[in-house]
Amino acid sequence: MSDQSVSRADSALGCQDLTKSFLGVRAVNGATFEVPRGQITALIGPNGAGKTTVVNILSGLMKSDGGTMHLESTETTNWESEKIARLGLMRTFQLSRELGGLTVLENLLVAPHDQPGEKLFNIFFRPGRVTKAEKAHVERALEVLRTYGLYELRDSRASDLSGGQKKLLEISRAVMAGPKVLLLDEPMAGVNPALIERIGGYILDLKAQGVTVLMVEHNLNVVEKICDHVIVLAEGRTLATGRLSDLRENKEVVSAYLGEVIDAGAIS
Amino acid sequence: MSAFWLYVFTLIFFLFDYFILAMGLNIQYGETGILNFAYIGFVAIGAYMTGAVSMPNSVGTGQHYILGLNMPFPFNLLVGGLSAMVVSVLVAFIALRRLRTDYLAMVLISLSLVFYDICNNYVPLFNGADGLYNVPSPLAGVLHLTTNSFTVVFALLTGVISLIMWWIMSRITRSPLGRTLRAIRDDDGVAAALGKSVFRYKLTSMMIGSFFAGIGGGLIIQFNTSFNPSAWLPGETFVVFAVIIVGGVSNNIGLLVGSLLVETMLVHLVAFLPAIPGHPGLILNIAAMMIGALLMVMLWFRPQGIVPEKLRRSPAAVAAATTSTDYAGIDEGVSHE
Repeated sequence: MSDQSVSRADSALGCQDLTKSFLGVRAVNGATFEVPRGQITALIGPNGAGKTTVVNILSGLMKSDGGTMHLESTETTNWESEKIARLGLMRTFQLSRELGGLTVLENLLVAPHDQPGEKLFNIFFRPGRVTKAEKAHVERALEVLRTYGLYELRDSRASDLSGGQKKLLEISRAVMAGPKVLLLDEPMAGVNPALIERIGGYILDLKAQGVTVLMVEHNLNVVEKICDHVIVLAEGRTLATGRLSDLRENKEVVSAYLGEVIDAGAIS
Repeated sequence: MSAFWLYVFTLIFFLFDYFILAMGLNIQYGETGILNFAYIGFVAIGAYMTGAVSMPNSVGTGQHYILGLNMPFPFNLLVGGLSAMVVSVLVAFIALRRLRTDYLAMVLISLSLVFYDICNNYVPLFNGADGLYNVPSPLAGVLHLTTNSFTVVFALLTGVISLIMWWIMSRITRSPLGRTLRAIRDDDGVAAALGKSVFRYKLTSMMIGSFFAGIGGGLIIQFNTSFNPSAWLPGETFVVFAVIIVGGVSNNIGLLVGSLLVETMLVHLVAFLPAIPGHPGLILNIAAMMIGALLMVMLWFRPQGIVPEKLRRSPAAVAAATTSTDYAGIDEGVSHE
């Protein structure tokens, strides 16, 4: 099934017939979708639908068994994650993966690509360039930390942060790298309602800055509020794509996912 | 000069030399998370190569070895460091590309055993089990040093070299490069997701650490004027691990403290104690057990070491970035949920 609603030209990220098996179990089974550029897209589906696996494949953390994918106009099928990241795709993780031994500020300072101070030669022979770049990065990192409300925590050890703060740290670290496409794997999971509101606001701000966002999300209230476009995965393949309100009419989607959520009372 | 002072300066030599070795292993293990169980092999390469280039052509010396270039100090030492670095590149391409942590450690320890057997059995390389001896003492001729005064001068020279190496290492660990290495240590998947070439940085870390290993080894062969396979049994790697774990991983002062406690006190000081009558070698065995026990006690009660890693807080960086405004006064109303 190909995605009719978004043309390849308008797509920042997409995949065609992705497959991935774990010990014979097909986690991803022909997922095909396009993520519209400059919009916020939700990737939803029941547990075990393969959402995280798809995100892992798109970000290069895992290799697919079959299928193709692209980032903007570049074919990125089975590229290393560092190469995909350098093309402008940043991601966060379902379970926060902060760099625990580093401070909050250092977590952000790691993010910029091609820092002069990462080269041995520059450290000893072009210290001026290193200092200048470092100064600029520190300024930018502090600005990002202010935006995300982590400024006061800049010198804390990242592993000492609370769960919600770690979620914010992951997003701000990804933002620090200046992404074109941002993959957020359940950015609101296990987060208190006030912070959900805040994170939703941050994601809308990123959209306003031109960042394309693909987020795995279970909270349909959030999806309804901030997402322009929805991709429904079930049993490893794309069940439907479109606006959430349209998908509510789709019987297949309702029986596979929305019905389940409605039963659980998650939709008000 | 009394024997006492000779002992003291021998201990001082080993203190500084193991400080250099500890810094080298620390950038690999402490900063980058590479469990390099082959570390002593790189020390040996540095020692052998430094010896082989400083000695005259092997014909007529009664020894068999390669090179024999009569190379003067400090160029011979640099050759030792650079040789270890070159070998580390080869090892990195074999072991570092795909493997991580425990598997990598097993492959590295195997490689060091292979290299050990080659050096021990293939005589034309570095004189086999006899090893190299009669290695010229650097500067002895120029400064008209006796055996005793050479010990003092070389121990102090090693101290100066270790300070230079410390300066170099501090520059690296405080730089953005050091930060990226620590990011890889904490979570190499995240580092890759941020666009860092994990293999390239691990390779850089291996090269820097191996250079330090080679320099440390080169100093040992010149201080002792000899080096043979009994000096670098694969277990020696764990003495260097003990130095950095006891002293404090990722803290240069900690490495110096670890070097003093483990290497100077438990390895070399005890070697000078008089043997217990009827039990030759017992003291050394007890010392080895004490190192093991100390390692366990530290890992159990104080895994961060005596002088723990310091968090790199930002005042300097922030002061550089913010001009005259009092950044600390800005209240951003952070939520501490």
